[in-house]
Amino acid sequence: MSTENDFDMDMIETLGPEFTVFVGLLLIMIVPNLGNGTFRIPGTPIRLPWFLGGTRFKAVASPRLPGLLAVLTMALALFQVVWYLLDATPADGQDIMAGGVFIFKVNMFSRIFEAIFFAALLLAAIASLDRLPIGSQKSDDIDVLFNNRRQADFYILMLTSALGMSVVALAQDMFVLFVGLELASFSTYILVAFHKESRAGSEGGAKYFIVGSVASAVGLYGLSMLYLWAGSLQFHELAAQWEAQGATSLSMMALGFVLVGFAFKISAAPFHFAAPDAYSGANSPVAGVLATASKAMGMLGLMRVLLIITVPEATADGSAIWIGLLGVLAAVTMTWGNIAALGSENPKRMLAYSSVAHAGYMLAALTAIGAWNWGLVDNAGVAMDVVVAALLFHMFVLVFFKLGAFLVLGVLEMEGGASRLSSLAGLGKREPLLAVAMFLFMISLAGVPPMAGFLSKLLVIMGIVEVATGTGSLSSIGDAHWVWWLALLMVINSAISMFYYLRIGVVMYFHEPEEGRKGPLASGASIRIAIALCAIGTVAFGLVGGELIDLCRDAAESLR
Amino acid sequence: MNVDYLSMMVILPILASIFLLILTSRLNPAARAKFDAPVRMAAFIISLAMFAVATLMFLGQIGDVGWNDIAFNTFEFQESYVWIEQLGITWTVGVDGLSFPMVWLTTLLMPITIIATWNEKAGATYFPLMLMLGGALIGVFVALDMFMFYVFWELTLIPMFFMILKWGGKDRKYAAQKFFIYTFTASVIMLLGLLTMYFLMDTQTFSMQEMVVQASGANASGVWLGLEVQKVLFIMLMLGFLVKLPAAPFHTWLPDAHVQAPTGGSMMLAGVMLKMGAYGMFRLPISLFPHALEEFQFIIMMIGLVSLVWGAIVCLGQTNLKKMVAYSSVSHMGVILLGIASMQPLGWAAALFMMFAHGIISPMLFAVCGAFKHHYHSMEIGAMRGMAKHSPWLATSMMFGWMASLGLPLLAGFVAELMLMVAYWYAYGWWIIFPGLVLAITAAYYLWSMQRTIFEGGEATQPPESLHGEPVPDIDNSEKIAMLLLAAFTILFGIMPWIFLDMMDMWTRSAMAFLGLGGA
Repeated sequence: MSTENDFDMDMIETLGPEFTVFVGLLLIMIVPNLGNGTFRIPGTPIRLPWFLGGTRFKAVASPRLPGLLAVLTMALALFQVVWYLLDATPADGQDIMAGGVFIFKVNMFSRIFEAIFFAALLLAAIASLDRLPIGSQKSDDIDVLFNNRRQADFYILMLTSALGMSVVALAQDMFVLFVGLELASFSTYILVAFHKESRAGSEGGAKYFIVGSVASAVGLYGLSMLYLWAGSLQFHELAAQWEAQGATSLSMMALGFVLVGFAFKISAAPFHFAAPDAYSGANSPVAGVLATASKAMGMLGLMRVLLIITVPEATADGSAIWIGLLGVLAAVTMTWGNIAALGSENPKRMLAYSSVAHAGYMLAALTAIGAWNWGLVDNAGVAMDVVVAALLFHMFVLVFFKLGAFLVLGVLEMEGGASRLSSLAGLGKREPLLAVAMFLFMISLAGVPPMAGFLSKLLVIMGIVEVATGTGSLSSIGDAHWVWWLALLMVINSAISMFYYLRIGVVMYFHEPEEGRKGPLASGASIRIAIALCAIGTVAFGLVGGELIDLCRDAAESLR
Repeated sequence: MNVDYLSMMVILPILASIFLLILTSRLNPAARAKFDAPVRMAAFIISLAMFAVATLMFLGQIGDVGWNDIAFNTFEFQESYVWIEQLGITWTVGVDGLSFPMVWLTTLLMPITIIATWNEKAGATYFPLMLMLGGALIGVFVALDMFMFYVFWELTLIPMFFMILKWGGKDRKYAAQKFFIYTFTASVIMLLGLLTMYFLMDTQTFSMQEMVVQASGANASGVWLGLEVQKVLFIMLMLGFLVKLPAAPFHTWLPDAHVQAPTGGSMMLAGVMLKMGAYGMFRLPISLFPHALEEFQFIIMMIGLVSLVWGAIVCLGQTNLKKMVAYSSVSHMGVILLGIASMQPLGWAAALFMMFAHGIISPMLFAVCGAFKHHYHSMEIGAMRGMAKHSPWLATSMMFGWMASLGLPLLAGFVAELMLMVAYWYAYGWWIIFPGLVLAITAAYYLWSMQRTIFEGGEATQPPESLHGEPVPDIDNSEKIAMLLLAAFTILFGIMPWIFLDMMDMWTRSAMAFLGLGGA
C-alpha cells in the first residue's frame, strides 16, 4: 500500500479515470469557445490572438461537439476503470493523503462503483446525443439557437456529476464524501430541471432541489455531531471511536441524521416523495441516471457508514445496532414502492416507484449484513462479502435494464411525451425491436430468468437466506434469523411487481397506438445503440454473469 | 462421437425460434405474411426432428438404454457442464423413468399441435413461439440442476403469455396476466424454499441428484433438516407445483387461460405444461421430504379429492365447451394428487400414467374445441345441433375424445383410472365412493354435451346460428390428421400401456423403496 502526499505523476496515474473526467470537463468548457478572439495588451494597440471568443472556428462550432466530447470522456474513463478492475486483486489499494489525512482510497470496491457511475453516464450521454434536440446552425428560430447553445451546459453538468460521484466512491473522509455528494447532487438538480420550458421539468427540479437540500442539511448536521463525538471525520478514526466508545446517544443521533441524507439519495421510503416528480419531470436519460448512478451513490454512502464505521458489537446477539431500524425501513420501502407503482398511470412514475421498491430490496440486503455476527454464521467476513457482492452485482446490472427502460421512454419523448401509459401503446407494431427490448427490461426488473435482473435478485435473496440460516441445522424455520422474513417479503413483492411490469408489455403489444402516433418513431441512431447495449447487457449478464460475480466478490473483499 | 442430444433438444428449438423471430421482426405485416409458410415448415421440420430423436432414443437406436431398468435417482444420457462456476451452478441434463415419457410426450405434441393449427394467423410469429415453448418444456423435464430447472420453469411462461395475448379470445389480456401472475407468484415462493433448502444442506449443491442422495442418507436415520423445517419447505415447494398443476383452490387461472388461449396454446398447456406441476412434485418435494409427505398425506388427498369433485361438479354447469374441458382437466389433475396420496407404488404409477395419458387425450379435447371455434365461431354447447349429420369428422373426433377422457376401456385414460382406483381402495378403503361418484358425474357431463351437440336436432340438421346461414363446414385436412394421430396414440397406449408403464413402474417402485415409503 503506497501513500502519496504530493501532486505528481504517480498520483495522476493512480487517479487516471478521474483526471480523464476532469480534462474532459475542461475541454467541453474551452473547446466550443475557441475562436479568433484577440487580447489587447493594455495601453498598447497590440492585439494578441488568444483563441477564445470572437468568431468561433468552424471545426468547433458544431453543436454536436460537446456531446461527442462527453461520450468520449466517459468512454475513456470507463475503459480505464474496467482496465483497473480486470487487473487488480482485492489486496490492492492506494491511499491518497494530504497532510497526514486520508483523502481517497483507490481499490476494487471504489473502482467498481465508478464503473457503475461511468457506465450509466456513458449510456445516458450516448442517448442524449439524440434526445437533446439539435437544430440546423443556419436556422433563425430562437428555440433552435437556444437549444444549440445549451448543448455544452448539459454535458458539463453530466461530467461534473461524474466527477462528484467518483469523489464519493474514493472518499475516505466523511467531509470529502459530502463534498462529492453535493457536487453530484447539484449537477443532477439542474439536470432534472434542464428543460425549464416544460412545467413538469421545472416543478420536478424544484421539488427535487428543495427536498434534496433539506436532506443534505440534515446529513450535514449529522456530520457536525459526528465530528463533535469523534473529533475527526476520517473513516478509520470514526471506526476506531465506535469500537472504543460503542454506540452513545450522540453518535447514534449523528448516524441517524447522516442516514437520512443517504436514504434520500436512494429514495427509500419515507424520503422518496420527491423521486417520482423528479423522474417524471426530468428527460428520460437523466431520470435513468437518477435511478441507477445516483442511487448507487447513496448506497455507497450507506455502506461506508454502516459497514465501515459501525462495526457490530454491543447488541446481545452480536448483530449491528441499526439492524432493526433498517429492516423496518426495507420492508416499508419495498412494499410502499410496489403498491404505489401498481396505481401509477405514468410510465416514468411507475419506473420511479419500481426504483423505490428496488431500493427496498437493497436495504433488505444491507439489513442482512447487519446480522453478520449473529451466532450461526461461521465466518462473518465471508458472509458479508457474499451480500456486498450481491448488492454490487445488483447495482451494476440495474444500470442496464433500469436505464434501458428509461431510454426507451426517451425515444417516445422525442416524438412528444411519454407521460401516459398509452404513449407506449402499439410500440410492438411501430418498432418491434424496441418493444422487445422494453419487454426484456421489464421482465428483468421483475426478476424473470434468464435475465440479469433474475440473477441479481437471486444473489440478493441467496445472501439474505445464507445469513439467516447460518450454518444450518435449524429445528424450525422460526429459528432462522428474522431477516429470512425479509426475503419472503421480497419474493412476495416481486410477485406483486409482476402486475405493473406485465402491463407495459400488454400495452405495447396489444393496444392501438394513440392518435397521431401511428407512424414510425422518431429516428435517432445513437439512442438506439444505447438501448441495444442495455439489452445485450441485460441478457448477457443473466446468462453468463459468472465473471461479473467474481469481480463483485473481489471488490466486496477489498472493502474489508 | 458423443452427441449431447438432450441439451440439443433444449437449446436448438429455442435458438431457432429466436432466430426466426428476429428474422421476421423488421418486416411489415404484408411481407411477414409471406414468411408464414416457410417459418411453419421450418418449425415443423425441427419439431419432427426432435420427435425422431426422442423416439430413436426410446427404441435404442440412439444410445443403448435399458429403459425399464432405470432405478430411482439414476439418469441416462446424463451430461454436465459448468454454467456459473462462481455459484456452483451447472447445466446438467439427464432422463429417467419419470422424465423420459414427458420428454417424449412433448416432442410428440409439438408436431401434432403444429399440424392441428396449420392455418393459424400470423404464423411467422406463432410457430417460433411454439418451438420456444417446446424447448423450454423439455428443459424443465431434463434439467437436473435446481437453477437450470427454475430458469426453464419460468421461461415456459413467456411464450405462453404471448400466445394467449396475441392469439387469444376476447378477454385475453386478463387471462394472460392472470396466468402469468398466478404461476409466477407460486414459483417465487418455491424459489425461496429452494434457496432456504440450499443453505440448510450440509454440502451445498444445486445438483438434484446429489441433493436426493444427501437427503436420503439423513432421512434414513432421522429427518433431514428436522421435521418442522422439512414441513415448511415441503409446503413452499408444493405451493409452486400445486398452482401449476393446478389443484383447488389455486385452479382459477386455468379455465380463464384455456378459454382465452388459442387452440395450439391450449393443447400445449393442457398436454404438457400442467404436467410440469406433477413432475416437479415427484422430482423435488417428494424425493427430498418423504417424512413431510407422510405428514401431509391426508391433506394432499383432500386437495386432490376437492379438485376432482369440484372440477367435475363445475363441469356440469358449463355451457361453454372449452370451459367444460378446462374444468375436466382440473378434475383429472386431482386424480394425480390422489395417486400421490395413496402412497402405493401402484398409485404413483397411476399418477405418472395419468400425466402421460391426459397429455395425449386433453390435446385432442382442445383440438376439438379449437375446431368448433374455428368453424362455427361459437363455443356454446347449445349453439349447434345434429353435428353427426353435418360434420361427421368433427362429431367422431369429439365422441372419441370425450370417451377417452371419461375413461373408456382400451383407451389410455382407462388404464390410469383403473390403477388409481385399486391403489386408492388399498389406501383409503370406502373413501373410494367419492372418486367413484365423480366418474359418474364425468360421464354425465360428457354424455350430456355430446347428446346436445352431436345427436339432437331431429331430422333436419340445425346449423349453428353463429354461421348466419352459411354452409356448415367439416374440419379441414390438417385437423383431421392431428385428430387421427392423437386418437391412434390414445388407442395404442390403451391397448399397450406397458410401452411406458414399465419404466414408470420401475421408477415408482424403486423410488418408494429408496425413500422408505409405502408398502414397497
